[in-house]
Amino acid sequence: MSMQFATRRYRRTAFVARLRRFLASVGSGTISGLQRLLLYLSLAATVLVVALRRSTWAPPVRAEFRRLLDQVAVRSLATTAATGLLVGFALVSQAVYWLAQTGTTGLVGPVIVVLLVRELVPILVGLILFGRSGTATLIELGEAHTRGWLRLFEIQGLDPLAMLVMPRAIAFALGSFCVATTLLLSTLLTGYVMAHALGLISYSIQDFRDLVLRAMDPSDFVIPPLKCLTIGFAVALSCCATGLGRHDEGDELQRLVPRGFVRSALAIFAVNGFFDLAI
Amino acid sequence: MAVRPSRMVLSLQGVTLPERQHSSSPARLDLELPRRSVALVEVDDEADAVAMVDLCVGMTDPSAGHVRFLGVDWASRTPRERMNRRRRIGAVMQTDVWPAHMSVLDSILLAGAYHFNRGRDEMIEDATELARLFVLPGLPTGRRETTPRRALVRAACVRGFLGTPDLVVVQDPVLEQAAELAVPMAQAISTAKDRGGAVLWITASLAARAAEFVEPEQVLRLGEQGLVRARRGR
Repeated sequence: MSMQFATRRYRRTAFVARLRRFLASVGSGTISGLQRLLLYLSLAATVLVVALRRSTWAPPVRAEFRRLLDQVAVRSLATTAATGLLVGFALVSQAVYWLAQTGTTGLVGPVIVVLLVRELVPILVGLILFGRSGTATLIELGEAHTRGWLRLFEIQGLDPLAMLVMPRAIAFALGSFCVATTLLLSTLLTGYVMAHALGLISYSIQDFRDLVLRAMDPSDFVIPPLKCLTIGFAVALSCCATGLGRHDEGDELQRLVPRGFVRSALAIFAVNGFFDLAI
Repeated sequence: MAVRPSRMVLSLQGVTLPERQHSSSPARLDLELPRRSVALVEVDDEADAVAMVDLCVGMTDPSAGHVRFLGVDWASRTPRERMNRRRRIGAVMQTDVWPAHMSVLDSILLAGAYHFNRGRDEMIEDATELARLFVLPGLPTGRRETTPRRALVRAACVRGFLGTPDLVVVQDPVLEQAAELAVPMAQAISTAKDRGGAVLWITASLAARAAEFVEPEQVLRLGEQGLVRARRGR
C-alpha cells in the first residue's frame, strides 16, 4: 500500500517537475522574444531620432546615404522590372482569365488592387530589397566586428549608428518606394499586354488604367506606399542588427545570410500584418 | 601659429589594468602626458596594449582611478560626448583594418570629413603631403583588396596624423617592424609636437625599428606592478 502511494507520489512529483520545466522554457522563450522585439523597436526609434538630427548628416553620412540609395533604387531597376514582368504574366493574366471564365471581368480592378497594390507588391519589394541590398549589408557589416574596423570607427569618434545603420535604414525605406513603383507599373503593364495578346480582354490600356484607378480608395495612395517605406526600413534594420551582431570569426559568414533572411522575412510579414490589421 | 594652453593632454591616475593574461596582479597605471611631448611605452602583451589604448581613448572605463583627456575625465562623459571628444585623437593602429565598402582614400579622409566638415580638396592636399612624407607615390585610391600591404601600413600612418589631433596614439605590431618608416614617423611626430599635440606610442619593444629616431620625453615599461620608467637600448 505504502509502496503504491510512494510510486504515485513519485510520478506526480516527476510530472510537476516536467510541467515546470516546460513552463519555464515557454516563459524564457517568450521573455527573450519580447526582449529582442523591444530591442529592435528601440533601435528603430533611435535610428529615427538620429535621422532627424541635422548634425547627423555630416558629408560622409550623406555620401554613404547616396551610395546606398543608388544601390537600392537605381541598380535594382533591372531586377525589379524583370520581377514585374514575371509577376505580371502570372498574376494579372491569371486573374483576368479566371474572372473572364466566371463572367466577372468588371472585378478586375478591385482584384488587382487588393492583391497587387495592397498585398503582393509590399511583400515582393521587401524580398527584392533583401536579395539585392540586404545580403550586401549583411556581408559588409558582418565583418565590422571581426575585421576590427568597427573598433577603429569608435576610436576615431565615428558613431556607428550614424555612419552605418541610419543611412541604410533611410535609403532602404526611400528606395523601397521607388522599387514598389517600378514593380507595380511593370506588373500592370505586362499583365495588360499578356491578357490583351491572349484575347482575354478587349478594352484599351486607358480603360484598364481607369478600372484599376476606380477600384482604388484614397487610402490606397497612402497606406501601400507607407507599408513599403516601413518594410524597407524594417529590412534594413534586420540586416544591420544581424550583421553587427556577429562578434567572432566562429560565427561563419555563410550562416549570417540565412539568419538575416529569416529575420527580414519575419519583419516583412510582421509589418504587412500590422498594416492589414491596424488600418 | 597660436599656442594652445599648456595642460595635460592625457592623464592616467591610479588606473588599474584588470584581467591581464600574463600576470596575476592588476597593473597600476600612472602617466602624465603634457602637450608637445612623446611617451614611449613598452607593453609586451598585445592584449594589455589594446586594453591600455581602450582606456586612454575612453572606449572602456577603468575599474579604479581616472583617465583624463584634455583635463576631462572620460567617465564623466556620455557615450555620445566621448565620440565627439575623440575627434581630437589620431590613431595609428590596426594598419590592416580597412572597411570593405569604401576606398582606402575615403577611409583616410573619413574622420576629418565627419567631424570637421572640411572640404575634400583641402583634406586631400594635406593627406597627399603626409603620403609623400610616408614615401607613398600618392594617396591609395583603390579598395583594400587591391592595395599592397605596405601601402596600407603607410596609409594608416596618414590616417592617424591627418588634421591637427591633440593626441596621437600609435599601437601596431606590423608598423613597428617597418624600419623604412623610422624617419617618416619621427618627422610626423615632430610636426605633431610642433602643433602642440602629444604622442603616446605603445610598443611591443622599446627597440622597435620604426621608433628608432623618435626622441621621447618619457620612456616607460608596463611591468608586473604597473608603469615604470625604463631606458632605451640603442
